[in-house]
Amino acid sequence: MTTRILFHLIKRLVPVLLTICFIVWLYTFYGAWDYTIKNIAEFFKLIIEHFILVIISMFCAVIVGVTLGTIMTRKSMEKMSPVIMAVVNVWQSVPSLGVLALAYGFLPLIGLSGIGMVPALIALFFHAVAPIVRNTYAGIKSVSKDVIEAATGMGMTKKQILFQIELPNAMPVIAGGVRTSTAIIVGTAPLAFLIGGGGLGFWIFTGIALVDMGIMMAGAVPVALIAMLFDYCLGVSEKFLVSRGVRTDEIELA
Amino acid sequence: MGTMLSLQKVTKIYPGAGHIKAVDELSFDLEEGEICTVVGPSGCGKTTAMKMINRLISITSGKIIIDGKDIARLNTIELRRSIGYVIQNIGLFPNMTIGENIAIIPKLLKWDKAKTDEKVLRLLEIVNLDPDEFRDRYPKELSGGQQQRIGVARAMAGDPPIMLMDEPFGAIDPINRAHLQNEFLKVQEKVKKTVIFVTHDIDEAIKMGDKICLLKDGHLVQFASPEQMLTHPKNDFVADFVGGDRTLKRLNLFTVKRAMKDNPPTIHQDETIETAQNVFMKTNTRYLIAVDSDGKLTGMIDKEKLNDETGKVKDLVSPTNAWLMAHASLKDGLSEIFSHEYGFLIVVDDNKKVLGWLHTQDIKETLKG
Repeated sequence: MTTRILFHLIKRLVPVLLTICFIVWLYTFYGAWDYTIKNIAEFFKLIIEHFILVIISMFCAVIVGVTLGTIMTRKSMEKMSPVIMAVVNVWQSVPSLGVLALAYGFLPLIGLSGIGMVPALIALFFHAVAPIVRNTYAGIKSVSKDVIEAATGMGMTKKQILFQIELPNAMPVIAGGVRTSTAIIVGTAPLAFLIGGGGLGFWIFTGIALVDMGIMMAGAVPVALIAMLFDYCLGVSEKFLVSRGVRTDEIELA
Repeated sequence: MGTMLSLQKVTKIYPGAGHIKAVDELSFDLEEGEICTVVGPSGCGKTTAMKMINRLISITSGKIIIDGKDIARLNTIELRRSIGYVIQNIGLFPNMTIGENIAIIPKLLKWDKAKTDEKVLRLLEIVNLDPDEFRDRYPKELSGGQQQRIGVARAMAGDPPIMLMDEPFGAIDPINRAHLQNEFLKVQEKVKKTVIFVTHDIDEAIKMGDKICLLKDGHLVQFASPEQMLTHPKNDFVADFVGGDRTLKRLNLFTVKRAMKDNPPTIHQDETIETAQNVFMKTNTRYLIAVDSDGKLTGMIDKEKLNDETGKVKDLVSPTNAWLMAHASLKDGLSEIFSHEYGFLIVVDDNKKVLGWLHTQDIKETLKG
């Protein structure tokens, strides 16, 4: 048993460690370390901005996405949900850079600034909410009719069925949507710099513009590590949120 | 024992579809502790009739009275919590452990934890699943038969006086189905629920029901005990539905014990062969049933194989499997008689103690009534 766990750990840890070693090597090789130490105050400002971008847009996307997805499964919404779904699907097909550009161009039309952190947050949120809506809707819809009938017949209220049966059983699918959204947000967040949203994208784009690998790596490497951190956190939280009875092997291995 | 469930001219008309009456003025009364099997060809309205009792389907006209109370005046949620509900596809909650599944209704009824845990334990024992092994497992880890046992246990958890069962064993393979049916009947002997049991299988209806409610196109065709329905089918439809072999089907309604004769010819295995010869003379049979000092079956001795040898009966006893438990059905009894050479069958209790013997003649007499 212990050897199996050990082997399992090694199998999972070795690729992660190798990746991190490679990234850190790139980091030091191009002198990103020195640049970061020299500009440590700016580094903290950028990294905090980056976390704000990711966490706030993610948080809003989860809250709104799960709520909207759930509402769409209610009986009274039966006619509306295909329409919402179509909008969501189209929205999701717009590329990340396009979403930012749209926010930049559209927000001034309704009297808001197109530049700064708020438009970036709005763009990230809209881009990330689609997979969560879609998966919540699909997840709840896929809960077996028999399970719902048994619950109803046993005298559970609609609210009890939603919170004790539908959402927990849809959780693996919802979690999949959240993972997709996180990947999208973490991947798009560096672009937020382009519309003045701040974050580590500043160093990446500066580095590219100056053809200075050090500055670029000083931005790019933390971005990669943040992506890995978020993915890991999601994996851990899934283990708490998804019941073992509905877990798929994919989550088991994560 | 009073009337527990009473349907009074219950009618269901689905809107549209030409106002066809899915259930048409259905009336019957059920005593407390009875199982009523509702049976009929598909589309006869049996599931609709059942679902009106816990108001999963609304009643168009008529009344359903449970324990003296008109269900139309009760709160739907409370009504459902007081009725056990088992469906064909089981519908266990995949996200919950077996223990949590069974504890659902006690939780809804806000029982305290100790009482709920105790109930879960007792129910798992009742349905023959080891609580320590199964309580913390998830539905996907169980076989279909095990899952349906949990489905039944879950439905009984809130101590409902009434249970509705919608083809509960319909999706289970024949061997396991027979097993679950027998188990349920055993449980029912202990818990004495009033049960509405929907099935499309007339054999199951006969086996499980104290009463059978036979429906056709929403009408009640006959409401009677299985014995009555098999001996006096009301019309050709009923006769057809119960089948041409209805006399044979009646064999399922009786236990071997009911038909057997007491005082079979037995002999203690420690007796001498001389004594055995005397007994053979007296009883004028070819075989004697050998028993030990507790009266338990040890085998059979054959007159033809006796010789002048002196010795003990024990030495000449040949083991036999021509025996059945007292609670086995007469159908099994008849089949067993024909599969052995003795012309009769030994009837024993759970400890293999000899209770009586059974001949084809006894079966005939029982069927005559």
